[in-house]
Amino acid sequence: MLADAISAERFRLLKDRGTLFWGVLFAPIAGLALNIGGELFARSLMKGAPPIPVDLVGRMVKALAGGASPVVGLFVLILSTAVLAGDYRWETWRLLTPRNGRVNLLLAKLATVAGAVAVSLVLYALAAALGGLFSAATSGGALVPYRGSAGVDLIGTFAVSWLQLMVLVALSAVVGVVTRSTMGALIVGLVFAAVQSILASQLHEPSLKALAIPAFSGDLLKTVLLTPRSVVDEPAPWGLALGFLAAWLAGLSAAALALFQRQDLTRE
Amino acid sequence: MSFALEAEGLTKTYGAVRALDDLTLRIPAGGVFGVLGPNGAGKSTLFRIAMGLVRPSSGVARLSGSPAGHASSLRQVGAMIETPRYPPYLTARDALKMLALQSGARDVDIDGWLDRVGLSGAADRKTSTYSVGMKQRLGLAAVFFTRPTLAILDEPTSGMDPAGIQEIRELIRRLAAEEGATIILASHQLDEVRRVCDRVAILAKGKLVAEGPVETLAGHKPALRLVASPVAQVLELLGEQGALDGPDAVLANIERHEAPPLIRALVNAGVDILEARWREADLESAYLDILQAKEPADAR
Repeated sequence: MLADAISAERFRLLKDRGTLFWGVLFAPIAGLALNIGGELFARSLMKGAPPIPVDLVGRMVKALAGGASPVVGLFVLILSTAVLAGDYRWETWRLLTPRNGRVNLLLAKLATVAGAVAVSLVLYALAAALGGLFSAATSGGALVPYRGSAGVDLIGTFAVSWLQLMVLVALSAVVGVVTRSTMGALIVGLVFAAVQSILASQLHEPSLKALAIPAFSGDLLKTVLLTPRSVVDEPAPWGLALGFLAAWLAGLSAAALALFQRQDLTRE
Repeated sequence: MSFALEAEGLTKTYGAVRALDDLTLRIPAGGVFGVLGPNGAGKSTLFRIAMGLVRPSSGVARLSGSPAGHASSLRQVGAMIETPRYPPYLTARDALKMLALQSGARDVDIDGWLDRVGLSGAADRKTSTYSVGMKQRLGLAAVFFTRPTLAILDEPTSGMDPAGIQEIRELIRRLAAEEGATIILASHQLDEVRRVCDRVAILAKGKLVAEGPVETLAGHKPALRLVASPVAQVLELLGEQGALDGPDAVLANIERHEAPPLIRALVNAGVDILEARWREADLESAYLDILQAKEPADAR
């Protein structure tokens, strides 16, 4: 059953401390360290400057909006390749596949990574908030309320970044199955993340071609979410952008499942 | 008669290589069945197809009547295909727990099974630090702990030293007896197969070349070899069951339970018994003969 496979995968991931550290915890920890380090550095440069007000929710929204960057993507790829392609590396598919269906096994891996990515994003946002608290505590800056709809912006940026990261996860699943290699899946995923990020930064008009790039669609959705309606000239095709992101995720996941189901596991 | 594993016209090709070539084989349920064959004979491919790891190019495989590889049939099967491997960050206890979760088995006595296979002292050591023998023992626990009706063991003693082989062999025999499962055992160790299995199939180049009870394939049943004096008196007592085997020895073609009364009778008759030893069925010679007989046929 799928529930059994998910329990097993979750148990296994919790025991894999290396993957947990690099794939789930490192980005939030590094984010917090950079926040605090940056704060101390800025304060040393601007001695005597008046304290800056701190918007904790704003910091979290900003962190979540940047949560699908190629740098964060690298650590998510470390997580996803270890979970999705690790059984080729350890030659352990033959231990697992007879105990549960192949579709269940791969879906369980995708679900486990999806959960871990969500946890990592939440921690990343919390690290940004902690950095804000540190800033307020050391500089004496006042905490100010968020100008906007906190709930919608937090959930919206979280959901879009999660969707963007899950496209990378699904891609690593396909490449992992095809190449049977964790390194292959990691490198292809990283190249894809970098290239789409560069392309998205070069494109400005939301054409179909541009929207087909997950990073462009993600950025557009976040812009729509975070830009006040009063300053928007014309409505952006956010539905199409969301559709493209969902199609990438569904298409890549379905391809990974179809390929894995037909794959001969001779020597994993 | 019910069959644990059936293969009908099973063929598997990897490019130009024919790993299985129209193989038809029926392995009956119950007992221990051996599958013999040289490297590349198709043993592992047969098992991988049965376990749903590999898809056949043509033909059908069934496990206990259900299509091989389907969840319904796999639920009743435990398998150890070649040397078992585990994620290196898991301890033996974690590995069994993970496999139990994967199988949906909630009430597995993991500590009890680790104890049964002699790993309770190393239960919390990572499997990456395990010797081959320890991995094989953990693999056997993983095969049997869900109480399968069929266990497939593919070369369970490969890469092990003689003491380890002996240990694993005993463990298989014990688990087979205690768990009452049908066991299919592939091995290069002919002695192992002779000691453990009831029936044997011999594969060569993906085809079935012989199949039957070990004793039938070996050409004769085990016999008691007696070095005694006078030999004539032994032969007289044994009648048709006795045959000369050298100048001072007789082969007694009797069952094991007939040996003690025979020896008592010989001693009472004044025969000096210098040596009494069971000569086991010679599976190795039979195996080599069968494979050699296959070679010319292939050459033609």
